[in-house]
Amino acid sequence: MHSSIFLGKAVAQVSKVRNRPGSTWPGHIALKADVRFVRNILKKNPTLDIILVAGTNGKTTTAKLLQDALELQGKRAFRNSSGANLLNGIASSLIKHSNIIGRINYDVAIFEVDEYNLPLVVSELVNVKNKTSIILLNLFRDQLDRYGEVNSIATKWLESLKTLPPETTLITNGDDPMLRFIGENATLHAFYFGLSEKYMKKKEAPHDVDFLYCPHCESKLLYTKRSYSHMGLFKCPKCDFQHRETATFEALPNPLFGVYNRYNINAAALVLQKAYGIDPTVIEKALGRFTPAFGRQENIKYKGKNIFLLLSKNPTSFNQSIEAIFEQSKNPNILLLLNDRVPDGHDISWIWDVEFEELKSAKHITISGDRAYDMALRIKYADVKQATPEKNLEKAIHSALDRLKQDDTLYVLATYSAMLDTRTILKGHAIL
Amino acid sequence: MTNKTLTIGWLYPELMSTYGDRGNIIALTNRAEWRNIKVTIEKISIETDAKKLKNCDLLFMGGAQDTQQEIVNDDLFKKKGQTLKKLVEDEIPGLYICGAYQFLGKYYKTAEGKKLPGLGIFPAYTENPGDKVPRLIGNIVVERHGDIFVGFENHGGRTYLDDPSLAYAKVVKGFGNNGEDLTEGIIYKNSIGSYLHGPILPKNSEIADWLIKHALEKKYGEEIKLEELDDSLAALAREQILQRT
Repeated sequence: MHSSIFLGKAVAQVSKVRNRPGSTWPGHIALKADVRFVRNILKKNPTLDIILVAGTNGKTTTAKLLQDALELQGKRAFRNSSGANLLNGIASSLIKHSNIIGRINYDVAIFEVDEYNLPLVVSELVNVKNKTSIILLNLFRDQLDRYGEVNSIATKWLESLKTLPPETTLITNGDDPMLRFIGENATLHAFYFGLSEKYMKKKEAPHDVDFLYCPHCESKLLYTKRSYSHMGLFKCPKCDFQHRETATFEALPNPLFGVYNRYNINAAALVLQKAYGIDPTVIEKALGRFTPAFGRQENIKYKGKNIFLLLSKNPTSFNQSIEAIFEQSKNPNILLLLNDRVPDGHDISWIWDVEFEELKSAKHITISGDRAYDMALRIKYADVKQATPEKNLEKAIHSALDRLKQDDTLYVLATYSAMLDTRTILKGHAIL
Repeated sequence: MTNKTLTIGWLYPELMSTYGDRGNIIALTNRAEWRNIKVTIEKISIETDAKKLKNCDLLFMGGAQDTQQEIVNDDLFKKKGQTLKKLVEDEIPGLYICGAYQFLGKYYKTAEGKKLPGLGIFPAYTENPGDKVPRLIGNIVVERHGDIFVGFENHGGRTYLDDPSLAYAKVVKGFGNNGEDLTEGIIYKNSIGSYLHGPILPKNSEIADWLIKHALEKKYGEEIKLEELDDSLAALAREQILQRT
């Protein structure tokens, strides 16, 4: 294993020198040299705690919040960089934070994990002694051409979690029927977070729902309250599967906007409480000084204009971004960016599952990205008329900003690669 | 077009709606309403009585995940399949995408080799060659009578037509029915089966208008001429994909 560490560190150094982000290469090389690299380095560092954060949306925000709160408590914590959330990204992060003989001088490693890769990462934790906690935030349809269907991901999650030692802490979303089902059947020490009923305002089932049927008996679930997508207070009419009490942390503030961030905050609060005995007041303190991760409601000032970047990458995250910006402004100025590159997913059919009809009261919408005209067509069919497509991203950004009055805000809703491109244009250089 | 109405039957909107196929309903509704044709959407779910299907002038059914397809399969066989078959045979226009297209065929052989009977409406069958053979995924361009249509396909099953001349379109780029014979979809009576997501109708508005026109002609027994709409955005969206091929 030493040689793998050395190799990885050497690669990291070369990447740095060549000025490449290099966030997955060191791990990639280390795994080539030792396919069990992650397991082996964890075995060598049994006192390093592990927190895995999985889910379709909210991983980066939750991981960042966890790190902030743990550090406030005097713990030494690190996390993998966003986007480097496959096994090679996790290996890279371990290399970066270890010395040359593979010692990791930290208390907690927080890893966000790609939903498709969770079983693979979990399999590296099966025989290690490290204290492990797993957060399952949510599970929505996302990049079906890459990940496959959400039901099969859910099944794989459950099967893989069953292989972990029973003392593993599992923190999962009790408002999501499939995740509750996983919690109840994973044979781990499971705890459930959720939202207070006052945030469950949706009347009808939206179009981005994925789990409407009882995971036990396939009867259609009945909902008395909904937060969004398929999450809410549900009950099976035939068997005894139903929503039960969740930790809702009503006293905690939400420094970000949007109901979805309350789920992220509550997930973080619950793991800190259950696995670390940390009082929610510490989280409150961490929230007080929280700055969002890049592209997640990140606020950028540009030539006297105010810009919020909201990564919006699948139907549920788009719907939540839309809801969130209307919390902030009745007539927002919006820039919609749709790309279909590898990190975005090649299939953009999902834009038809987003409630763009909600944009009718927007002041103006500028549209760009590789698939700008697909998005413009979607907006046209949503009967939203105050929209202008502009294929060239740089021009689109400037024309959207030109429309703003001084002190006005532009809300940028962008898929992953479009968000990165936009940051590069606004900040002048690429930052990962 | 005054006083004309159209009832669109949307089969299993909650279950068979995984790949943005709701966009087809949005396109049909808007394109009819923009021409002052009043549209009613009849949502046909598991709980809905099969009789409701008979009120429909136009039918649509999308694709879904395996678990959902099983639930739908059961309902179609026990309750609604025969009514649906009669409507298709009576030339009620319809659009059946992906999983729905496969359902209407003679059978579907699963990845594990299990042969699941279909409704036997379309003279076609589908076989999934197993998990080791890649799914057919990607942007697709097809041609029908000189018109170019674009979409996105993502299917494990390969569909074979009894008579290849029933193909809805010819593959220009992508896989289509099976990745072998360049056929895409089927046209049978007034029903179209296709693998094109995207969804198919907003970007390929000619197909949407063909369905609306035939539904109205069938309903009112007269020739219908639909007024032209501005489809320049759809053309630009298609062009984005064509430029890559």
